[in-house]
Amino acid sequence: MSTETLFEKAELRNSSVKAWKEQGKKIIGTVCCHVPEEILHAAGAMPYRLRATGVTDLSEGDTWMSTFTCSYARGTLQYLIDGTFDFMDGVISSDGCLMAGRIFDNWKYVDGNAEKKEFYLKQIAAPRMNNENAVRYYRDYLDQMRTELGAYMGVEITDEKIRASVALYNETRRLIRALYDLSKSDAPVVSGTERLKLILAASSMPKEEYNEMLKDFLARAGSRAPIKNYRARIMLVGSALDDPEYIKVIEDKGGLVVTDALCFGTRYLWEPVELEGGDVLTSIAASYLKRPVCPRMVDLHDEFGDLIVNFCQDFKVDGIIYERVKYCEIWGGEGLYFGEHKGMKEADVPLILLEREEIMTNIGQLAVRAEAFIEMIEK
Amino acid sequence: MADGHIEKVEYWRWEESRWKNPEIPDWRGSLVTAGVDIGSTSTQAAIMTDGQLYAYASIRTGSNSPSSAVDAMNWALEGTELTPADLHYTVGTGYGRVNVPFADSTVTEITCHAKGANYIYGPTVRTLLDMGGQDCKAIHCDENGAVTSFMMNDKCAAGTGRGMEVIANLLAVHVEDIGEMSFRIDAEPPPVSSICVIFAKTEATNLMRSGWSKEKVLAAYCHAMALRVARLLERNEMQLDFAITGGIAKNSGVVKRIERLIGAEALRTDYDAQIAGALGAALMGKALHEKKGGKSGRRREGG
Repeated sequence: MSTETLFEKAELRNSSVKAWKEQGKKIIGTVCCHVPEEILHAAGAMPYRLRATGVTDLSEGDTWMSTFTCSYARGTLQYLIDGTFDFMDGVISSDGCLMAGRIFDNWKYVDGNAEKKEFYLKQIAAPRMNNENAVRYYRDYLDQMRTELGAYMGVEITDEKIRASVALYNETRRLIRALYDLSKSDAPVVSGTERLKLILAASSMPKEEYNEMLKDFLARAGSRAPIKNYRARIMLVGSALDDPEYIKVIEDKGGLVVTDALCFGTRYLWEPVELEGGDVLTSIAASYLKRPVCPRMVDLHDEFGDLIVNFCQDFKVDGIIYERVKYCEIWGGEGLYFGEHKGMKEADVPLILLEREEIMTNIGQLAVRAEAFIEMIEK
Repeated sequence: MADGHIEKVEYWRWEESRWKNPEIPDWRGSLVTAGVDIGSTSTQAAIMTDGQLYAYASIRTGSNSPSSAVDAMNWALEGTELTPADLHYTVGTGYGRVNVPFADSTVTEITCHAKGANYIYGPTVRTLLDMGGQDCKAIHCDENGAVTSFMMNDKCAAGTGRGMEVIANLLAVHVEDIGEMSFRIDAEPPPVSSICVIFAKTEATNLMRSGWSKEKVLAAYCHAMALRVARLLERNEMQLDFAITGGIAKNSGVVKRIERLIGAEALRTDYDAQIAGALGAALMGKALHEKKGGKSGRRREGG
């Protein structure tokens, strides 16, 4: 299998999507990484994370959403409305951020199918705190989802099925961590641009197939050409970033993106779901809520800061690029507090804040900022 | 208008210039480096011999960036003993940095302006404001002119040289006279829009219709530009000493208003602050040439 075959899976309408649909099976779109894909998988559906990669027209998104909505959300709605995602049999959204919620609301309002029985539509609440009450509350939504999705799919989503799905997903997580491990080397064999494509592939194809392909990729990674001619090692943090072209602009200037704290990166499938002996949904709820995913978790700021500091050390990061999509609710104000974390202060890693739009019209502006930052931190 | 045609005056057109260091009458140095800064509006070429500024030229960027680079360099070399073959190392900078056909490498204008300001204003500069043709940058640097952080605004021509040119044309005032004229007022008027240069132009037109003098409108425009820039400086936590580079550094109407708003005086210089980018590029060229162990000496003679 060639690497290109795996990269093709990062395309929105990739060959795995087509093959899945040809078998008459269902694909359910998810918004935000707080929708536990394991439950969808256990139902026999293919979870597919909705995104706006490569969007060039926001006319529908602009029509239905306020221009104060982030362009990632408007782009995702655009794709739902303009037919790019016409292979979806349903959409499940969490209230991961206000924008994610609005994708759901507007799609529900706009699309005629949304009210029909053949399209499954569900919004779940994901608390922004991590405590017992929050876990219980979140678990109730997961239980609703299990019941309703099971009815829609015509199957019973048993604990055994969910446990099997969790095992499969934990294997995906293990493989993704191994993929990132490759970038700890002084001469990594995978660029940040390529790695994002591999993560996008994970979010857009069946995990059984993905695990096999990624395993094969990792086994052959040693024969790839090491990347030595970079000028600085960069970590990316910030808003949902689903466009490999953005990273390519930075890497073309010599900034090798070695790691990230992005929800289409390490924050997607990383920490394993720990299944304890008790209730399986409670275990999933607890595992999902304790992840330092992004600043939405109001009581995990220190943990999130610790994670970034640890990544900086593990991946020998020279500088952090903090990218925020304009009007991003989660990352908009975080920049004010970002450097206040004790470990971050001590680590004193150079940082730059860049504003971003989903449509890549500002490549020149990004390029000059990225290059100047690289010149600043280059050793 | 004697022949029935209105004379077309390009009020925005600032004077192109060149300079040769009178203290270095003949080139006797051994290392010649050059920097070419292709900006959106102007192009500068600076030549340094042994780390000293030897000559420069500043011209308007035409529609063809490579030919602008060649023209600026040829003009800077004119009247000197040097030819392009004498340049040991040339660095391209500015938005058109990749379009300098004879450049050995490229460096961003952010890094180059900090280096250039360090040369022009001295090692005490900690905050640099580069006000260019189509963007504005607040840069922090250390005593060596190395960038420690920066912030850019390039979303709109408001607050940039191009915006000033638009107003010059609209009010039929030569761009180089704007600064001085903007102080011929009784009291500082409120600013026009600093969000969008088109809105500012519309506002300025309406103010003229309502009876404002040109001077008052210019004051309102300079005020708006200064406000926009002062906000950028505040966001980037300004530190002293403070200096300005770029074409707008020559506009006292904006500079003095910025100083008033931020409560600090910008350093002054006898150099043309518009050449800081090209000068910094030439300095970077020297460092890069030495880093790679490049030879010095007369290239034409030594082969």
